[in-house]
Amino acid sequence: MVEGGINPHANKYGVIILSILDQRKLIESIHPFELLSSSTLDDLVKKIDIAYYPKDTLLISKNLLSIAFYIIIKGSVNEIIDDEIHNVYISGDSFDADSLIYSKGDSKFVVDEDLICYEIKKDDFLELMQNKKVQGYFLSDFISRHKHLKEYDAGGDLTPFLISKVSDIFLHSACVVDADKSIYDSLVKQKDLKAKIIIVKDGDNYSVVTDTDLRDKVLLGDININDNIRKVASSGVISIDINDFLFNALLIMTHSEIKRLVVTEDEKIVGVLEQLDLLSYFANHSHLVAVQIDKANSLEDLKNLQNDLRNLIVSLKSKGVKVRYITKLVSALNLKIYKKVFEMCVDESLRDKCALIVMGSEGREEQTTKTDQDNALIIKNGVDTSIFIEPMMKLNKALLEIGFPKCDGDVMVSNEFWRRDVSSFKKLINSWSTSMSEKSVQELSIFLDSKYVAGDELLLKELLQYLRRTFHSRDDILAHIAKAVLNFETPLSLFSGFVLEKEYNNKLDLKKGGIFALVHGVRTLSLQYGVEATNTIERIKELNNLGIIDKNFATELIESFDSLSAIRLGAMLESKDINQSNYINPKSLEKIQRDLLKDSFKIINKFKKFMSFHFHLEMVS
Amino acid sequence: MNNPEFEFLFEENQNDEYIVFDTETTGLNPKEDEILSIGAVKIKGNKIITSETFEVFVKNSKEINAKSIEIHGIRECDLKNATNVKEAIEDFLHFIGSKPLIGYYLEFDVAMINKYIKPMLGITLPNEMIEVSEIYFEKEITLIPQGNIDLRFDTILKNYDIPNMGVHNAVNDAIMTAMIYLKLTTK
Repeated sequence: MVEGGINPHANKYGVIILSILDQRKLIESIHPFELLSSSTLDDLVKKIDIAYYPKDTLLISKNLLSIAFYIIIKGSVNEIIDDEIHNVYISGDSFDADSLIYSKGDSKFVVDEDLICYEIKKDDFLELMQNKKVQGYFLSDFISRHKHLKEYDAGGDLTPFLISKVSDIFLHSACVVDADKSIYDSLVKQKDLKAKIIIVKDGDNYSVVTDTDLRDKVLLGDININDNIRKVASSGVISIDINDFLFNALLIMTHSEIKRLVVTEDEKIVGVLEQLDLLSYFANHSHLVAVQIDKANSLEDLKNLQNDLRNLIVSLKSKGVKVRYITKLVSALNLKIYKKVFEMCVDESLRDKCALIVMGSEGREEQTTKTDQDNALIIKNGVDTSIFIEPMMKLNKALLEIGFPKCDGDVMVSNEFWRRDVSSFKKLINSWSTSMSEKSVQELSIFLDSKYVAGDELLLKELLQYLRRTFHSRDDILAHIAKAVLNFETPLSLFSGFVLEKEYNNKLDLKKGGIFALVHGVRTLSLQYGVEATNTIERIKELNNLGIIDKNFATELIESFDSLSAIRLGAMLESKDINQSNYINPKSLEKIQRDLLKDSFKIINKFKKFMSFHFHLEMVS
Repeated sequence: MNNPEFEFLFEENQNDEYIVFDTETTGLNPKEDEILSIGAVKIKGNKIITSETFEVFVKNSKEINAKSIEIHGIRECDLKNATNVKEAIEDFLHFIGSKPLIGYYLEFDVAMINKYIKPMLGITLPNEMIEVSEIYFEKEITLIPQGNIDLRFDTILKNYDIPNMGVHNAVNDAIMTAMIYLKLTTK
């Protein structure tokens, strides 16, 4: 007999050992351990001990090398860097691979709530790391780990939406003809290729001939079929790369109101993507919703569409579509509704004398379900502003009726404050650049996300140019605006369950806690560097192009933003009341989502530090 | 003591290890009932050495009572490959050596073991005994001097926020008891 007793795992008695199975189950439920083979897992379980550490025990620090890999059964542990809580680990979490692999680290791990945990001894853990999959997980940096988790979250049903590319779908052959070819010869070639359209190549330029062109210009017009094809070509070509996502193709079609896209590979035309094929591929209703909006003749029609829109979001989300695509699509559809309502309420003679704009999340195209209306009307100088009172009241009422909720801050065209002529708006901008009041910063922030909806687009352009000029090199006021990023603490410590906002049943505020800091910070940087995009992700990309933030950080920010938005969208779809939808209870999230959330908050903290440094916020009071 | 092979039970305990153990039995009367399984884990410092767990299922002379199956979940067919009582007890004694024994209502479990070793070796377990419900009582009574202390296992688990390992079996119960002990004594 072995000294120290029998090892029951040898299964000497041939009896099923339940307790060991329980442990095994728990370990198996923790990613990435489920990737291990059954026999490796068996070996591992035999090597694991249970340890108990009372509150405040220091587990790992610079001077206290890590001796084991810990998997928490109960209790919580804080990871502290530079006296700040960097992460909180709770039941089901594990730590800390880095300390074991690199034998050093800046982190301190302290027990925050009496800890009962499994311990995998250092040597056993390192042996485990021989497994490529496990190694890949623990050695990967934030971005790939984050993506890894997300894919895992999407589950086995890897959605066609996420991964389908243009190259995955049937493409019609492209009938490309030279501009000098006769219409007759072109048509023969089109017939041979069974193509729906003719693409006309004129030097380096391409244009398209559709059946409509032929009907209007040849059959009904006076152009002879022996004439050059270039004579009937009209529409320009909108193309998409063969490696782009199908979802983007759908977006372009919805945006540009076209029925087909020319597909290119290395900038050469390789085929034509037909809307019909695309739609049947996805079999969802996004385009149908768009068409219905166009066809709507009354408010009642638009109102009836709201359910379709909601179903669309639910179905897209369940298919695993990235939230940034969902929000873009929803924003595009909402803009269509806005336009339609504008046409219903504003007399044709007035339409070119003003510009209707949306601001806030609608302006950023980050709207998911209906958020508060944030809109304004810019009126041409010299036009009597009072003639717009009645149509704007009507517009506001119509939007409310359709289901765009009232804005608590009254940022709506029905409010005189947000319905001014250009000069008056310029005065407002001037006042923002001199006043340090909280109200000014709020108004400015809302306006910075402006997006044109209907009317004369130039009016908004003029104001935005004026705005950028006014704030150019005004680092003092920019720092003052940026300061709001630090207004709310990132709720990392919330995971241990102590600091959740009591009045909201132990839930944390996603918007205040994370999304706001990111959106506002990126917005302020965009103002500073004259970035014109309003969408947060596009702004981040632009800022990266300008060299303000590096590629890696930009990707981290985008991934974090996407994760936070996804979790928020989930909460929104579940809750009835808009005010509740920003609140989530981390304990009700799945483990993986919780990890994504924590990772995201870490990046938000990093971003806050970046902002503090960039704008010298410590010096601004 | 009539078997020198087991003199190690009386040796001085050399290291700081403890044994937590639990038995599953056919009933609650040591005189009549029999052991179905024994589960034990070692405690060393603040760790429960689950990598060296002891678990044994014992062959029985009588049929298992249907009521007790509901509690311990051990059916006749689970004991098909079980070991005979003598071998099981001897293995157990080797596992515990002269280490102190920890348990919840340990008296019962020890009485069950003694019932077998008395005729085998002519002794009863000489090891030091540590009763967790007693430590728990003393700790609680200082907090609520005239109080009525609820000593039920599940209550203690709940009060000390010990994870319930789910299935009740000898090893799981021993592990949970070990957690209680660590929580009561480590500070």
